[in-house]
Amino acid sequence: MTQALRASLMVTCLGDMFFPEVGVSTVRLLRRLGVSVDFPAGQTCCGQPLFNSGYHAGAARVGARMVELFKDAEHVVVPSGSCAFMLKHELPGLLRDRAAREAAERLAGRTYELSQFLVKVLRRTEFTASVAGRVTYHDSCHLLRGLHESAAPRAILRGLRGAELVELPAADECCGFGGSFSVRLPEVSSQILDKKLKNVESTGAACVVACDAGCLMQLGGGLRRRGSSVRAVHLAELLDGERPSP
Amino acid sequence: MTSRAEFLSRIRGEMAKTRGLFPARTAPRPAEPRAVAETLRRELAERWPAALERFRREFERVGGVFHRVGALGDVPQVVAGISRERDVRRLVAWDAQALGGDLLSALEARGLDPVAMPPGEVPGAERARLRQVVAQADLGLTGVDLAIAETGTLVVRSGAGRPGSTSLLPPVHIAVFDRTALVESLGQAGVFLEAWHRAEAPGAGAVVSFITGPSRTADIELTLTRGVHGPKEVHAIFVETPIHD
Amino acid sequence: MSEADLSVPFRQRAGGAMKDAHLQEALTIATTKFIGLRREAFADFPEGERLRDLAREIKEATLQSLDRYLEQLIDNVERLGGHVHYATTAEEARRVILDVARRTGARMAVKSKSMATEEIQLNEALEAAGITAVETDLGEYIIQLAHERPSHIIAPAIHKTKGQVAELFAKELKREVAADPEVLTRLARGELRDKFLRADLGITGANFAVADTGSIVLVTNEGNGRMVTSLPRVHVAVMGIEKVVPSMTDLMVFLQILAKSATGQKLSVYTTLVRGPRRAGELEGPDEFHLVLLDNGRIRQLAGTLREALYCLRCGACLNVCPVYRQIGGHAYGYTYPGPIGILLTAMLDGATAVTDLAHASSLCGACADVCPVRIDIPKMLVELRRELDDKKLAPWTERLAYGMLARVLASPRLYRWAKPVARLLQRPFARNGTIRSAPLFGDWTRTRDLPAVAPVTFQERWKDLEREGS
Repeated sequence: MTQALRASLMVTCLGDMFFPEVGVSTVRLLRRLGVSVDFPAGQTCCGQPLFNSGYHAGAARVGARMVELFKDAEHVVVPSGSCAFMLKHELPGLLRDRAAREAAERLAGRTYELSQFLVKVLRRTEFTASVAGRVTYHDSCHLLRGLHESAAPRAILRGLRGAELVELPAADECCGFGGSFSVRLPEVSSQILDKKLKNVESTGAACVVACDAGCLMQLGGGLRRRGSSVRAVHLAELLDGERPSP
Repeated sequence: MTSRAEFLSRIRGEMAKTRGLFPARTAPRPAEPRAVAETLRRELAERWPAALERFRREFERVGGVFHRVGALGDVPQVVAGISRERDVRRLVAWDAQALGGDLLSALEARGLDPVAMPPGEVPGAERARLRQVVAQADLGLTGVDLAIAETGTLVVRSGAGRPGSTSLLPPVHIAVFDRTALVESLGQAGVFLEAWHRAEAPGAGAVVSFITGPSRTADIELTLTRGVHGPKEVHAIFVETPIHD
Repeated sequence: MSEADLSVPFRQRAGGAMKDAHLQEALTIATTKFIGLRREAFADFPEGERLRDLAREIKEATLQSLDRYLEQLIDNVERLGGHVHYATTAEEARRVILDVARRTGARMAVKSKSMATEEIQLNEALEAAGITAVETDLGEYIIQLAHERPSHIIAPAIHKTKGQVAELFAKELKREVAADPEVLTRLARGELRDKFLRADLGITGANFAVADTGSIVLVTNEGNGRMVTSLPRVHVAVMGIEKVVPSMTDLMVFLQILAKSATGQKLSVYTTLVRGPRRAGELEGPDEFHLVLLDNGRIRQLAGTLREALYCLRCGACLNVCPVYRQIGGHAYGYTYPGPIGILLTAMLDGATAVTDLAHASSLCGACADVCPVRIDIPKMLVELRRELDDKKLAPWTERLAYGMLARVLASPRLYRWAKPVARLLQRPFARNGTIRSAPLFGDWTRTRDLPAVAPVTFQERWKDLEREGS
């Protein structure tokens, strides 16, 4: 009998504080797929908010901690494209200490955004959670352009029994979150969001799916403010048996 | 005022501080571009019909009007047709040697008012007068140095007896070419540009113009309009019997 | 609204642009169209990706031997009878050009579109010296008559409706014509044809300059590049040093991707290669050719963080896809170069202090890097600029303090764990059903969006139960 795959969850700071259900869904989903999941204690953040705003010493300190915490991980699974990108592509170059940098590079090689882990490591695109109704998918910028991933989430959504994936017009255009950008230039961020939500509503979908907590905050925050019946949902929640209303 | 030495010295000073971002090389160039151009010519002589067909397609796609005749002697009839349709007569042309033949008398016989550009050095006052003639002409008749199939582009070199204004100022530009001008791609055109530079022909001018269709703009509300500064129409007349050997 | 007033904060300038209904409509139509055209052009062009890689490599290779290629260019230009001038600053560039204009008795100059001449603010200097400077690119001509700055690198008058253009022509040219682009274009053609033929001086930029031959390359759709360089008796070309390319072979690589990136065309209508002044036997061409090599902050970046920005071909593709540019247009940026690359170029020319706001005018979405023909990593340099603002303490101290505190909390598992009940306590008056609709300090978010409240039980706090569930 083959040993079960081991995955260490990096839940992300936004996920931990604002969307714990995403982490819960991720853990349950992976367990159902025969993966043993652990959660290194004491994790906080990959350092991206600090990095993107130019506070690189702080980002390095915060990120280096994560490298240390996950050093024994076989696979690191991150339910967030931007955090996975930070870990894989930005963090190693940020660390001055050579040992730390090499550890970060090794970690980068073992880190996966959730949909990539499902499709590329577990090689699963058909999921047993059944969903009724239309769903549409928003490409998070860092998952799409940083990790070059647009196929895996779509393959999964197309494979969902009972669900109909409708392509979102301009799916690859930014939702306007951009971290601190959303509050530094809130008017611009909101206008970008408005255009995105018009596109979402034009699909007739009951929910818009994304693989990034930042996008979900932005999309969900806008949809709720409009009193829309459309919900912003993380991919993990959809696969965990959550049913969007038709 | 900064001197050449100061300017370059500053550049060198900054360059010395870095090795650059990654190992990089420029595009590989033909060591003997004239030889490569010769080879290309020979190869293209076999494949010209396909290149011509592609040229026609691309040329028409950018708004050019394509014509085809048997020999150079058939050109005046086409030109006369174009001018009749537009009810115009004044035509300026490259000098006969540049065009590959004397078409002026045939054009005159068909009711046009043609003026050929003189080759050789011309005094300033006469140059100014000729410029006015070109500026008032309705049609400009030129030859072609290269016809690039990939993009539907006419490449025209300036020089003695072939001023750029003939393909620029009149509202209608008519270009005459044969199979020896055809190249398939911009890459091949590059070989010729390299080759021309290696051995400049006597009477060569300062300008090489790539012309891809009529002058255009979409600056007002993205609405496409033609004939902004350059010609409103570009015609290409392909002559089956080679003009130049 | 004409010039952006830099004393108004960027956020406000952006807000003003978003309230301009005409601008908004024009921006949406234009950028969407350009995006589609570019996409089609590259979809039809399988060699495109390889050529972009090659183009990037050529730019880098050129910079690595920049002194050699510039010397080759200079020697060739001089050998052909041209003159080369070296301008370290914008002021020097203006002085050189004015000297040439005065010495040659120029009273009117016609200009082909050149961002470099906008950068050095040449037109104002010419006018001040009593020389009429006429922009001949239709879009530039329109905004010149309107006393405005360009709002887009390749479509400068994109923000104007045909009605506005007709009104402008009626007012400035004293000609009443229909608000029809054909008619308006014909009017401009006539007006400008007269100027081309009478001008004493032609001023251009240079899209490229080929070192091997001493040729300046001008890329236009209208034909004004050819007019300006063949009709007046003096031609001045102003060029950033990074425009030099080694050979004609290299040039062809760029030509294959430039127009496709800018407008989706395979080639622009006119690509003109000009080697020096009129030759013996030619009927036209300038008697004098001057090339002004421009530094203006570029040289310092050869070893600087913005080196990659020197690859820029000025195609405008990054503007068209930028979510920020698409909402606010070019004027709100406030400087010569707008959009993603514009932020980097502004920092290059005017220093980091000029971009304390602009460096954050980006969600770092990466769409710009995706479409850049020479694959400039714009987001990476924007982050570097933000870092510089922190290192040099140019960011506001309140911000630096807040991020400092954030770093401390995130670096300490204990502080992080402790912060959550504190947050839940502080949010209590504002949170309803897990949502915050308005809260002090968070107004910038909650004005237009709901904010999720910190969860009653965070994931970390749930883990123990989840762990048990799994065993």
